[in-house]
Amino acid sequence: MVQEAVFRIEGLRKSFGPNQVLGGVDLELRAGVITVLMGANGAGKSTLVRIVSGVYDRDAGRITLAGQVFSPSSPAEAIRAGVVTVHQNINDGVVADLDVATNLTLDRLNGRGAPLVFNPRRVRREAAAVAARMGLSIDLTARISDLSLADRQMVAIARAMAHEPKVLILDEPTSSLSSAEAERLFQVVERLRARGVAILYISHRMSDIRRLADTIVSLRDGRISGIFEDQPLDYEGAVNAMLGKKISAGDISVRAATAPVLHAANLQLTPTSRPFSLTLGGGEVVAITGLVGVGKTALAETLFGVRAPVSGGMTLDGADYAPRSTRQAIERGVFLVAKDRGENGIVPGFNIYENISLPFLKRISNFGITSRRSERDLARTQIASLGVVCRSERDEMSTLSGGNQQKVMVGRWLTQASRVLILDEPFQGVDISARRDLAAKLRASAIGRATLVFVTELDEAFEIADRILVMSEHTLVGEHRNADINVDKLLAEIAGQHQMVG
Amino acid sequence: MAITRRILGKLTLGLIGASTFGGVSFAADMPAPFDKPGDVKIALVRYLSTGDFFQSYLSGVEAQAKALGVDLRVLDSRQDAALQADMVDQAIALGVQGIIIQHGLKESMKEAAQRAVDAGIKVVAFDVDVENDQIPQVEQSDRDLARLALEQAIKDNGESFKAGYVYVAGIAPLDRRDETWKEFKKKYPGINEVAQFGTMDNPIANSVANQARSVISANPDITVMFAPYDEFAKGVKIAVDEAGMSSSVKIYSADISTSDIAAMREPDSAWVATAATNPTVVGQVSVRTLAMLLAGEDPGHNVIVPPTLITQKDLMDSDIKNMEELGAKLPQFAHADVAMPAWMPNPNAK
Amino acid sequence: MNLEQTKTLNAATGAPHPVHKLTIRELAIKYGFLVLLLGLILFFCAFTNGFASPQSAVFILQSVAITGILALGVTATLVVGGFDLSIGSVATTAMMASSYVMVVMGGDAFTAMLVCILIGVVVGLINGFLIVYMRVPDLLATLGMMFLLVGLQRIPTEGRSIATGMTMPDGSVASGTFSPAFLALGRHRFDFVLPNLVPVSVVVLILLAIVIWFFLEYTRFGRMMYAVGSNERAAQLAGAPVNAYKISAYVISGVFASIGGILLAARLGRGDIASGNNLLLDSVAAALIGFAVLGAAKPNAFGTAIGALFVGVLLQGLTMMNAPYYTQDFVKGGVLVIALVFTFALSQRRR
Repeated sequence: MVQEAVFRIEGLRKSFGPNQVLGGVDLELRAGVITVLMGANGAGKSTLVRIVSGVYDRDAGRITLAGQVFSPSSPAEAIRAGVVTVHQNINDGVVADLDVATNLTLDRLNGRGAPLVFNPRRVRREAAAVAARMGLSIDLTARISDLSLADRQMVAIARAMAHEPKVLILDEPTSSLSSAEAERLFQVVERLRARGVAILYISHRMSDIRRLADTIVSLRDGRISGIFEDQPLDYEGAVNAMLGKKISAGDISVRAATAPVLHAANLQLTPTSRPFSLTLGGGEVVAITGLVGVGKTALAETLFGVRAPVSGGMTLDGADYAPRSTRQAIERGVFLVAKDRGENGIVPGFNIYENISLPFLKRISNFGITSRRSERDLARTQIASLGVVCRSERDEMSTLSGGNQQKVMVGRWLTQASRVLILDEPFQGVDISARRDLAAKLRASAIGRATLVFVTELDEAFEIADRILVMSEHTLVGEHRNADINVDKLLAEIAGQHQMVG
Repeated sequence: MAITRRILGKLTLGLIGASTFGGVSFAADMPAPFDKPGDVKIALVRYLSTGDFFQSYLSGVEAQAKALGVDLRVLDSRQDAALQADMVDQAIALGVQGIIIQHGLKESMKEAAQRAVDAGIKVVAFDVDVENDQIPQVEQSDRDLARLALEQAIKDNGESFKAGYVYVAGIAPLDRRDETWKEFKKKYPGINEVAQFGTMDNPIANSVANQARSVISANPDITVMFAPYDEFAKGVKIAVDEAGMSSSVKIYSADISTSDIAAMREPDSAWVATAATNPTVVGQVSVRTLAMLLAGEDPGHNVIVPPTLITQKDLMDSDIKNMEELGAKLPQFAHADVAMPAWMPNPNAK
Repeated sequence: MNLEQTKTLNAATGAPHPVHKLTIRELAIKYGFLVLLLGLILFFCAFTNGFASPQSAVFILQSVAITGILALGVTATLVVGGFDLSIGSVATTAMMASSYVMVVMGGDAFTAMLVCILIGVVVGLINGFLIVYMRVPDLLATLGMMFLLVGLQRIPTEGRSIATGMTMPDGSVASGTFSPAFLALGRHRFDFVLPNLVPVSVVVLILLAIVIWFFLEYTRFGRMMYAVGSNERAAQLAGAPVNAYKISAYVISGVFASIGGILLAARLGRGDIASGNNLLLDSVAAALIGFAVLGAAKPNAFGTAIGALFVGVLLQGLTMMNAPYYTQDFVKGGVLVIALVFTFALSQRRR
């Protein structure tokens, strides 16, 4: 590690309005070294990538590439200078309706000096050269839309490599690949490392990180919170630095569960993941934590009837429970407050009370005719009990702050008694006071049902749960009572260390 | 050789006719190339095809082609001017001997027609002026149509009346009918056109009915409606009926169909007269004109199919309920002695 | 208890909150179109003969009845975030079908109507199936259906329009007639204030407008359809059978269009070959103008009815003033553009 850095970022700052996203980031990339960047949602990873790839301007800071000042004003300029980015969304990197050869040479068709007339034979010759350099064995005449995701990813990377970059940035490249497909990607990345490219690899996946990382950099709240380069790499320390804070158990009075409400036996979420069992008791609040992409949402959706498990069965209050639609789940008393409320929760054309009554219109309608009076009564009750700040229950959702919108989303599912209340990332985009209100309300109303909360942030789990379960690689890997938590063990489980232990 | 045969054919035909053996003729009696009609291929290249008029026109073309025994190909461009021109080339490629161009735009058809002529193909144009001396124009006389209807209007209503007029500019036959209307207004200053309206929004009758309702409520003193297109007349009639004014308004129109006959025959119908050329006859004349060209005869540059005036009274008196009965009971409507050399088989003869 | 909580409680306990004053822009968005309609009516009353009369009012309604009914149907598909381009051809196909049943097959009025409604249902189901299960985008699926129907309606008669006593392709003459009961749908008038004033089509329009308005605004099915159109995923996660709602919307649209076709056949007294494109365009215009009424900024039945009325008043008045047909299309287009500006530019800024 004596080698000089090829690419150096110093004191990089970026704010959007009053929000500071990057607060002075320093980062070095060396030739022939894979640097893994870890960061939770909102840590500033994507902003960093966008600045480096020329999409955003920076507010302050200095970037040098091989000693020269690097300050791209557009993505094309960054590419010409030798810094190439493969974005997370694979389809941004390829044009689905064109063939592989055209995609590999696409960038030469743009920009100044590009030939006016396009010669298919020459395109194919150039594309073949690019593919050969990458060790890529894909039919050059195939259309991108006919390729698997992994092949598209390879083409996107090969296309990027056609520029002979000095620096390659891969933003969560395996997020939609299977493990076999990922393995092919790893081989390509290792080949590039051997050729002396400086690689910045952004990922949450511990298996990727363990496989590829030479150096790990953790980003938290817009600052570098840890750099790990001594072998063997301290993965646990990296996760700890990424999640940040002094992790400590919550100060809540832990309740014991009454009789089991929901039991899942040998549930298998994906064809390759390990089956697990799960029991939720009445009155308890259970948090399931784990990194992004480990299957938390998949489990939530399985419980709610959005998707079916690969194998395994569930019982609810002792009776078989195999919902095939959300409606069946709701009828059995299993409710889900979905994550990303803007995508999955809020009906933007509806006001507050119409949003709250949405799932239960049937229950408050007579012969199909809705009663706006009872809808408004229900909404007013929830507004008061959750402390939603608004003028009235007829306000548009868009006039509410994020925290208040989330209170409405949770309030929607509290209007009717449930057997199991599932909340997927309920504190996403919610300010601290609204989060406290919601957590308190959930705990206060928990009697009589089982409550299951999926959170990525550990302190959120500590704040709300009686029991904390850890998820990794689409299965449950650990269980803790939220009173006497071995934080080190918990972090190790999150980082996927359990596999090494056994 | 060919000439001899033709003369021979004419002679034989005359003999058969004289000896009242009937209208059946044998292929051998026909002038070349109709002595072997199975080898004659002709094409109908259409611009307009939807609607009763075009359907009847087609049946006339088919009937005459069948009577001649020739092989007819129908190419329908469905109001696509460029496609119609391509279809002429397609017909040339098919190796047809004759082409009938039915409607179309002068601009797009002029050159296509010339190409066909250059390829040695005989061409006849119906209702489209391709500005070519070698191409006879088959026409239904729109001016005569309008004249017959308006003369009847003056006969019924005197020389001065308040009139409503339905017209949409830019459609060739309507433009020609409009010229006659303007002449009549000049000739009879007592005709007072108080309202002009019209639309081609389909269903046309429905849209015109909506407009006509507005017009007659704004001008309840209108006594004559000149609607020189049967869809217009149908719409005006609906409006007049709905306004309860069928006794005070008379409708004069052009064109006819079975449903028009039914509308004219309704009790107290305001639709009193229409002038029409039988589209079936026009279709027959088109084929006959082409056949004369193919046989080396000269049909003349303008082949005009004369119109017939059909009044409500005619329909009631002869108890005519549909187009077939109209043809049977008004012989001048069923057949026109146009482009009818002696050897030509008459498709109406059964 | 902090200040915010006090405010919340006020709202929650129903205590009066300060009366919200509407700004001029909000007033304009909310009532602008209705004022424009009123102004238009006053203008025509002042400048044309015979505009201001009950007959004229009824006639305006009659002239928009068929497009209005189609527009109400297409509103249902707009509510679920879809679109139905096939309504015009469904209407003309229903017109041909009813004529065919009576004139060619000698059926009675009831059979004819039943067949039409059935066509509407089947077309709606097929549209819905293509869009929901075959994942064909709505515009493309219904465009395909439109072409299909324009062709289909010509097949039984080989392109002929259907009228009493028509000649069939095989040379025979159709023996059936339009049943008087069926023609009454186009010709009968109910007494209202004046004898023989209100035609059946206007009554049907008003009834269907009330039904669809009530359905969309006051039943849980209508509400769920709005939810599906506004955020499909959220509606699904709230337990709504999204696919069923989408298909139902196309069935409603198909049935309304076929009802329009029945009235069209009854008014014309024959089955006209027509693509129905003008019906489609006018009814879509009415539904889109409806977005602007009362500042709704979304498809709604009341707005659609007002939109249809607006077009009717405008065309009636212009025709009475002897304006040629192309100026009418021009004005129609102008109104639509203004309505869309009201909907998208102005009301969006409010948010």
